[in-house]
Amino acid sequence: MHHHKYRLIVPFLLPAILLYGLFVVWPYAQAIYVSLTSWRGVSSNRPFVGLDNYQRLWQDTRFHEALGRNGQLLVVLPLVTVAIALTFAALFTQGSQRVRGAGFYRVVYFFPQIIPAVIVGILWSYIYTPNIGLLNGVLRAAGLEGLTRSWLTDPATVLWAIVAVAIWSSVGFYMVIFLASMQSIPASFYEAAILDGATRWTSFKDITFPLIWETLRTSIIYLAIAALDFFILVVVVSGGSTTMGARRAEVAAVYLYNQAFDSSRWGYASAIGVVLLILTLLLSVVIMRVTRRETYEF
Amino acid sequence: MNPDLIDRLVADEASGRYSRRQILQRAAALSLTAPALAALFAGAVPLRALAQNADNPLGVDPNAPLDVVIFKGGFGDDYAKYVNEKMYNKLYPDAKITYAGIQRLGEQLQPRFVAGTPPDVIDNSGAGNLDNAALVAEGQLADLADLLAAPSYDTEGKTVGETLVPGSQESGIFNGTQYLLNWALTAFGVWYSSSWMTSKGYEYPKTWDEMMALCEEIKGSGVAPWVTTGVHPQYARQFLFDQMVWKHDPDAIRNIENLEPDAWKASAVTDVLEAIYQLAEKGYLLQGWEGLDHIQSQNEWLQGKAVFIPVGTWLENEMKDSIPADFDMVLAPTPSLPGDKLPFEAIFAGGGEPFIVPSHGKNVPGGKEWLRLLFSKEAGKVFAESTKSLSTVSGSGEGLDLGSAFASAQADIAAAGANTYITRYQDWYTEFADEVKAQLASLLQMQISIEEFQNTVQQAADDLKADDSIPKYTR
Repeated sequence: MHHHKYRLIVPFLLPAILLYGLFVVWPYAQAIYVSLTSWRGVSSNRPFVGLDNYQRLWQDTRFHEALGRNGQLLVVLPLVTVAIALTFAALFTQGSQRVRGAGFYRVVYFFPQIIPAVIVGILWSYIYTPNIGLLNGVLRAAGLEGLTRSWLTDPATVLWAIVAVAIWSSVGFYMVIFLASMQSIPASFYEAAILDGATRWTSFKDITFPLIWETLRTSIIYLAIAALDFFILVVVVSGGSTTMGARRAEVAAVYLYNQAFDSSRWGYASAIGVVLLILTLLLSVVIMRVTRRETYEF
Repeated sequence: MNPDLIDRLVADEASGRYSRRQILQRAAALSLTAPALAALFAGAVPLRALAQNADNPLGVDPNAPLDVVIFKGGFGDDYAKYVNEKMYNKLYPDAKITYAGIQRLGEQLQPRFVAGTPPDVIDNSGAGNLDNAALVAEGQLADLADLLAAPSYDTEGKTVGETLVPGSQESGIFNGTQYLLNWALTAFGVWYSSSWMTSKGYEYPKTWDEMMALCEEIKGSGVAPWVTTGVHPQYARQFLFDQMVWKHDPDAIRNIENLEPDAWKASAVTDVLEAIYQLAEKGYLLQGWEGLDHIQSQNEWLQGKAVFIPVGTWLENEMKDSIPADFDMVLAPTPSLPGDKLPFEAIFAGGGEPFIVPSHGKNVPGGKEWLRLLFSKEAGKVFAESTKSLSTVSGSGEGLDLGSAFASAQADIAAAGANTYITRYQDWYTEFADEVKAQLASLLQMQISIEEFQNTVQQAADDLKADDSIPKYTR
């Protein structure tokens, strides 16, 4: 019996495993090897240097600063994105407690998600431009001249200006995921709760939240991984990997790119990549453990 | 027997690059007949004359295909196509040229270098180009000495090297060997609209004190005296700061480039920092400058929102679609500080747009020959006319009337004479130069003090010097 099962499963899985091995596992393995060399990336000469690159990383303050920014993102990005997405999702469902025009909002809030990240980045780089940008323009029109600034080069604002773009563009996606999850909750639960005198908040807290916990948890892991990467928006919004904005909002992945493509230190860049890989794996495991709780069947 | 093959062998033998035994091995591999070999070594006189034929001094195989890759940026690529079609293929009609005019060369060519199949000649310029220092360190580039010693294509009696503007090829030399040949002659300094200045009765200030006085007056009239890009502060770093340090004390900038101890704390550096810090302190920079990229800052300047801007000679071509009529942009050297060791006329100028011939290309002589044709008066004229920029071929811009920017750059370079220079540490040590520009931007935004700037940058220089994984260069 078992033989038959494997005869069926193996041919189905094999192509996927081969492709995954060729395009994911093999490059990872190569990157791990490259991280042990001082490869400059312009010849096949890859001198082996052992763990030198990792030793350097350990003392590299610029790398530590970059990782520190990833750390801040790790807290802010999932928290704020999930909070906003959850609020919208809850307002647009929960049986008869949903707000009017919910269908319209659902579509509109999803719009940013269908725009490619690069276009989102370029769009916002114009919004943030100091002299002709929309944001400073609105602030000036509102008489808030004092708040205007060069959002993308001011060290105090650049990272958060880019984080705001990330949140703006991803809230819609998570909202839809939460909506899907919430809509699978039978409306009768909410009707019963209303009869018992539940407010919108108590319905949310005691019915919605526990029943979508699994989805929430997956979303947090996704967002945490996004916070550890966060490459595209930093580079695109700030206008390139060697701009002042990119430097002042430099996260580990941008530093990696900078070391490889701008400074021809591919060995060192690969070591950064390997450290990021390890951190991402660790983080996923930790979040899975910490957020494990009873799931409800309904 | 194929006379071209013999030509090549004779050229090799004459150049002494190969031993006689290697030549014999190569000849055998090419299945030359015994009489041909006899001719090669015994009666080689007529053959030698053939090989040193002025039409083919580099021993090009007329049938060998050629692979050309050009950075198609601010200068376009009309001049390169001209060399392909009207020059190389005219001399070698049977050579098939594979051509690509592209941007971001690094991403596209890097795999070819790693695989050992690079193109034969490359214009390695623009954003995202290949790292020349890394290519040199990996032995990927051909020594161009024989090209420089070859006769010029259209200047009788001179070698290619002798036809080039003195000093324009210095940045192509890495530890004594010429690996890069610079095609564009670029000058960097302060630009302004001469028509606007004349209409206000102003003259370009030759000293920094006069500059500050004029800035005060301009500021009073509601126009910002200066603008530069804060997104790419390397413009201010190299064209303003580096240039002023060099004019103040050439040894000071050389010490910086050679990573000498405490080079960044020299009094010449402090003097210049104090001078340019006034731009920030006295509010002479256009509001919001720190958030402008180079194009935005140049647009603000063209719209008359600021008077002075530090850029290089590509400016006019880069902005050609947005220049107002009668703007008459001109280039001037940076103003002098009291006690400058060089005269006001001294200016940052030299070669840019570097071309390389990969050492592992399939047709190295062809790549060099392509460059010999490019570095000619004929191609230089095509380049000047299509881009309004000077090439490094002496006299290639003579007699051309191409507007105020072209004329002023030509005049500036002539007036400077031997007093030209360009800093190179940004090519040698990209990461360090990024640190310098970041700190300079912070200084010009008054986020750090002059002393903090000097301490931080000196520390970075010391760290760089102690880091033996980065090859060091001196000049």
